[in-house]
Amino acid sequence: MSKLLITALLVLTSSVVQAEKEFLDHTNLMNHGDGHLMDMDGGMVMGQNTDVLPGGCDKIAATEEITVHAGHKYSENFPGTMYAFDKQEYQFEPCTKLTVNFINDDNIRHQWMMHGLPKYMYPKGMFHLEVTGPGKISGTLIFPPNDKTYLVHCDISQHMEKGMKAQLKIGKGSGDLPSIPGVSAYVIQDDYSDSIPEPAVKKPLTAAEKKAAKVATAAANESAVSGILIIGLAAGLILAPLLSSRFKGMAVGEVLNTVFELIAQGIGIVIKLIVWIISLVSSKKSIELSDK
Amino acid sequence: MQKKPLSILLGVAVALMPVLASAAVGLPESVEVDKGEVETICGSNEPEWREAQTIEGVKIQESLRCMPDNPAQIAAEVKGTNNISMETLMNTYYAADAIIKKNDMDGDGDPDLIIIKLEVAELNGHSPDFDGLVPTFDMAPGIQPGMWVFAPKSRGMATNSFVGTDANPLLRAPSPPIRVEQGDVVWLQLENSHYFPHTIHLHGVDHPWIDSSGEGNDGVPQTSDKFVLPGQSKTYEIRPRQPGTFVYHCHVQTHVHLAMGLVGMLIVEENRPNNWVQTFNVGAGQVRHPSKAVLEEYDSEYDLHYHAMDKELHGIIQKYNDPRLIARKMNREYDMTDSTEDYHTLNGRSFPYTLKESIIVAEPDQNIKLRMFNSSGEMLAVHTHGHKATITHYDGVEHNPNAQIMRDIYDIAPAQRNDLKISTKDDGLHSYGEGVWIFHDHREKGITTNGMNPGGNVSALVYKKYLNEVGLPKTIGESIVPLFTKKFHDRKYPVWQNIDAWNSLGEIDGKDYKAPPAAAPAPVEEGPKGIAFYDDVPEDNSISNFVWGLILGIIFYALFLKREMIMAMIASARGDK
Repeated sequence: MSKLLITALLVLTSSVVQAEKEFLDHTNLMNHGDGHLMDMDGGMVMGQNTDVLPGGCDKIAATEEITVHAGHKYSENFPGTMYAFDKQEYQFEPCTKLTVNFINDDNIRHQWMMHGLPKYMYPKGMFHLEVTGPGKISGTLIFPPNDKTYLVHCDISQHMEKGMKAQLKIGKGSGDLPSIPGVSAYVIQDDYSDSIPEPAVKKPLTAAEKKAAKVATAAANESAVSGILIIGLAAGLILAPLLSSRFKGMAVGEVLNTVFELIAQGIGIVIKLIVWIISLVSSKKSIELSDK
Repeated sequence: MQKKPLSILLGVAVALMPVLASAAVGLPESVEVDKGEVETICGSNEPEWREAQTIEGVKIQESLRCMPDNPAQIAAEVKGTNNISMETLMNTYYAADAIIKKNDMDGDGDPDLIIIKLEVAELNGHSPDFDGLVPTFDMAPGIQPGMWVFAPKSRGMATNSFVGTDANPLLRAPSPPIRVEQGDVVWLQLENSHYFPHTIHLHGVDHPWIDSSGEGNDGVPQTSDKFVLPGQSKTYEIRPRQPGTFVYHCHVQTHVHLAMGLVGMLIVEENRPNNWVQTFNVGAGQVRHPSKAVLEEYDSEYDLHYHAMDKELHGIIQKYNDPRLIARKMNREYDMTDSTEDYHTLNGRSFPYTLKESIIVAEPDQNIKLRMFNSSGEMLAVHTHGHKATITHYDGVEHNPNAQIMRDIYDIAPAQRNDLKISTKDDGLHSYGEGVWIFHDHREKGITTNGMNPGGNVSALVYKKYLNEVGLPKTIGESIVPLFTKKFHDRKYPVWQNIDAWNSLGEIDGKDYKAPPAAAPAPVEEGPKGIAFYDDVPEDNSISNFVWGLILGIIFYALFLKREMIMAMIASARGDK
């Protein structure tokens, strides 16, 4: 009986585990007031504002809608990161009403969090979308009239640091923020000076490439051989007449004897040369001294 | 004659030296070092959190320590985030789907399907944007080693507020103790929010090697599991048949991942009717909602998770941002066989912070259950002052009751668990009476922080009458105020400053100090001669002497040969003058 129960449970387990990986569209949110919406599956919107005009805006200048993707796979274009949004820069007119459809392609939590909005209408000055993927959540806000660059990021520990960061400019913006992947550099940079790797893994060569490589190698070998050959040839041509006249009619022992004599003479010349150089230097010094 | 004034001056200076020096024959003065900023020892005190109370029908025990656990959080941990009001949930940092409890399958009044979600959080990590760490978790004043922890699934920001960088209360060391009931169907879902692959291995917990879908369930990448990659999730399925104190930890590059903090306790509580167990005990320490079985025998229960860290390892994630660099430094360049453990923690913190969180509060004639776990790399020797506890369980298995022993040192091997029963019966054996009794590792390095004492895994068993109104022990020893400064932990503050009126063991002010010439030693009578055989073996210099002789000989010979030239040179030099 208990075994049957366990089996039944395990079947249940697998079916639910499977179900959890399906894409969830978080549209059924409970409104907690103050622009805070939430559901029981981890979907969350904070700072939603669909109709209140910020001070300085006469009317909604434009109504825009964007779809933003978040996930590990978007970090592929940025070596040295691990998470990213699919886009790193946005630009809108002042007083734009923007709806963000935030799609999380991972199986973990991600956020599209914006800071620096006027605190009198956005709690803590923040607009925030959060969803556990795979899933989608949407939120709307209205931007104030001033030109400003807003930081957009995922605040989960190390997600922004490892690439999930973007900037949103209203009007002309107020400059670029640091460490936006593909846009701006890090303030504090890593030291890669000792990152000289072993030879990279080579891709297996195709038949045509192999043939081409073989031809190239052969050509390289040929040229190397011919260069050395010419030097050898020249040396042989110069030395051969000398040697032939020197050793003409000698026995093997005599030849050896002559070779040793030659070597001894050579060494003698070298020593004389060194002594001459030393005497040159020391005599110079003595001359200088006597000048004093 | 030209050189005379100089020589006169020099002569006078030499003659005066003893006179000048005699003005300063004393040693440098002691100086008092400024403590710098002193932390409020018990700052963010929430008095109402400390009281015994009932929230959402969950009975929560009194917690008299300085930093008690948030009762709303405990209600969520006991009932599940799906069975509490939105208001209670909003008083915590939990995600709405962090702990799901449902399906009372055996009809005994408690849920039997428990879905627990864990994320992986980095603490005190690097930022490419500013010279600081994010999000911060202080192990001791000014001590912030980089760490990784399994954290309950939270919502919103990683930090506590917008202004600071301190981590939200769910993101902390140690990885939280998890409690489930014997026979529960538990889905432990790892949502890998970190930038490296991880897994969960259920150490000691009854679990099938493969799960219902035929996938690996043991968490070992080499034999039984795939990596759970960044951004991916994986559910581990268990239905533990045996109760006990067990462990869960990451099994990827285990030597470093475990040391980094990806290790926690997993406790299977005995099955009882209507037994809602506290799924997480964030920060370990007191369990404010003990299980039915524990309450049958004990008045209170504490999780004590000991850990140790090598500061070189824990500095890697603070030095680099590129995950590839971190991987190389950690996996290929860091050599654990050369490591030393510098930080020794109890429940994620070191003394004096342990006094705020990890004290054991006792009253006379109580039974207290301690679950001790050692996740450091070395043997622990925990000693309780004033008490001898009985070891009831090793590694979650009950020791034969007739053979159970009492000790005041509990040796715990790496990854081992000891369940202890402390009785506060004042009989000179179980307890020596009321007081503030510290308990600590008795390997002396265990009571240091980076080799400096007081620090390390020291905490205290404090009787209620010795607790003050904010939950700190009423100590009668030396002031602990200097220990709550960064200066002390930065080694700038003398441990014994101002122990007496003239600060006789204080810091030395050697700034403008110039030592006088050393005095002549008093004549000492010649002692008995040492054994010449050992003392006076003459050095053999013959080879070097020969070489020097040879060189000098050659030089002299050369000079002799050139003697006429040299003489001429000398003569000409004279003539010029």
